[in-house]
Amino acid sequence: MSRRLAASVGFLAASSFTGACAGDRELGAYLSNECVACHQISGHVTGGVPRITGWPEENFIAVMNSYKDKHRDNPIMQTIAGRLADDEIAALAAYFGAVTSQSSAK
Amino acid sequence: MDFNRRQLLTGTAAVTGAMMLGSPATLAQAKPRVVVIGGGAGGATAAKYIAKDSAGAIAVTLVEPNAKYQTCFHSNLYLGGVRDYASITHEYTGLAKIAGIEIVRDSASMIDRDKKEVVLAGGRRLPYDRLVVSPGIDLKYDSVPGWSQAAEEAMPHAWKPGAQTLLLRKRLDAVPNGGVIVMIAPPNPYRCPPGPYERVSMMAHSLKAAGKDRSKIFVIDPKESFSKQGLFQEGWEKHYKGMVEWLGPKVHDGLKSVDPASGTVVTGFETYKNAALVNVIPAQMAGAIARDSGLANASGFCAIDPTSMKSAVDANIYVLGDACIAGDMPKSAFSANSQAKVAAMMIRGELVAARTFPARYTNTCWSLIETDDCVKVGGAYEAKDGKIAASSTFVSKTGETAEMRKQQQAENMGWYAGITADMFG
Repeated sequence: MSRRLAASVGFLAASSFTGACAGDRELGAYLSNECVACHQISGHVTGGVPRITGWPEENFIAVMNSYKDKHRDNPIMQTIAGRLADDEIAALAAYFGAVTSQSSAK
Repeated sequence: MDFNRRQLLTGTAAVTGAMMLGSPATLAQAKPRVVVIGGGAGGATAAKYIAKDSAGAIAVTLVEPNAKYQTCFHSNLYLGGVRDYASITHEYTGLAKIAGIEIVRDSASMIDRDKKEVVLAGGRRLPYDRLVVSPGIDLKYDSVPGWSQAAEEAMPHAWKPGAQTLLLRKRLDAVPNGGVIVMIAPPNPYRCPPGPYERVSMMAHSLKAAGKDRSKIFVIDPKESFSKQGLFQEGWEKHYKGMVEWLGPKVHDGLKSVDPASGTVVTGFETYKNAALVNVIPAQMAGAIARDSGLANASGFCAIDPTSMKSAVDANIYVLGDACIAGDMPKSAFSANSQAKVAAMMIRGELVAARTFPARYTNTCWSLIETDDCVKVGGAYEAKDGKIAASSTFVSKTGETAEMRKQQQAENMGWYAGITADMFG
């Protein structure tokens, strides 16, 4: 009985983690509009603005949360991330994660 | 029996009539049409996003008279010799390749709001279901006594990019060591709030780099304070000591007149004679097409619905960028680009029932004070209490490390590449 409970808690934890990554791509596409004013959707890098396409979703979420929590200190990114809810960050991670330099998600 | 037969015939006629009426409606459903006036940061972005996100389901016509577009943003860096003219010049070839966009090289001379048609200077009429108006600014040539459009060669403004930008650079390069430059700064609201002060910085950089450090720049400002003032003044003191003097209205006691023929600027407090260069940045208003079409209010700019960027006076028209009244958002290319994406989404929502989300906007303005010394200001914005309101803002601080300022310049250059790729293609 207790073992079954532990298993189901484990399952819930796993599924909620998966849920955080399975972002709404349509929402992500809209939210991405503000990102691509600086970060090129082609993945091309110029100057001091890094590539944000093709990242593993977990990494993307971790970096955005580090700006949101002000552990990383770029004020632009803190402002952008600061108003994004968890599901919105997940949506962006899903959207940009699916964009590779070969894809035509222009 | 007769009665029934007549009834039947009438009924048949009614059905036939309905079918006939139905056919033009079917034709009109072919493709919704959007016309976009102006190929700058607002218009080019709107045209691109409407076309690409509707995957060709909306026919977009972009009306822009110029084959090439020079960005106003980073034109100060050209002035300072930090980047070349070719690098701030862009073409519409990338946009033209996007399915669903037709680019018409002409200017809009009239908007017939009742017929929902744009009349071009060349005579062509473009019907629209939704219209995007993004014409930028016009200059108020009568806002500086003694100055006029005829005087813009003698005393350039360079507040619209192109020939004026080239002229100002030529005139700056010709200033002798010890020569006096006077800038007449504009009153609010105007395009690019930190722009005049970045320009002063880049002029000083150019003079210093050419060994002309006995030259001096006076700024005659109608405003009591200006964007990033502490940052600019710290930078001028650090990099260009003795070369820049900013004068607010209490100090210069009002701009009385300019004389373009003799290079004279008269203020209540002092007269500047034989200036080597006078840069007049006059008061501004929305581009003529917006004002002539009744989209602007008494301020000379166009009120919009902050939840959509739709004109406050015409439900079929959206107004973007420098021409609109965007609440807390400054008039900048970044703002126009951000507003265009909201408008594009709302237009797709109206015309092809695309999914829409609550409007949100962003802006950042970088300003270069000296090579590798860049500062920034920006914020996030949302519709609140009937206007676009800042929900969060940030600005660089005085005393930041050289390393941080250098990094911000790298970011500035990265943003330029990013936004121009986003606009053009």
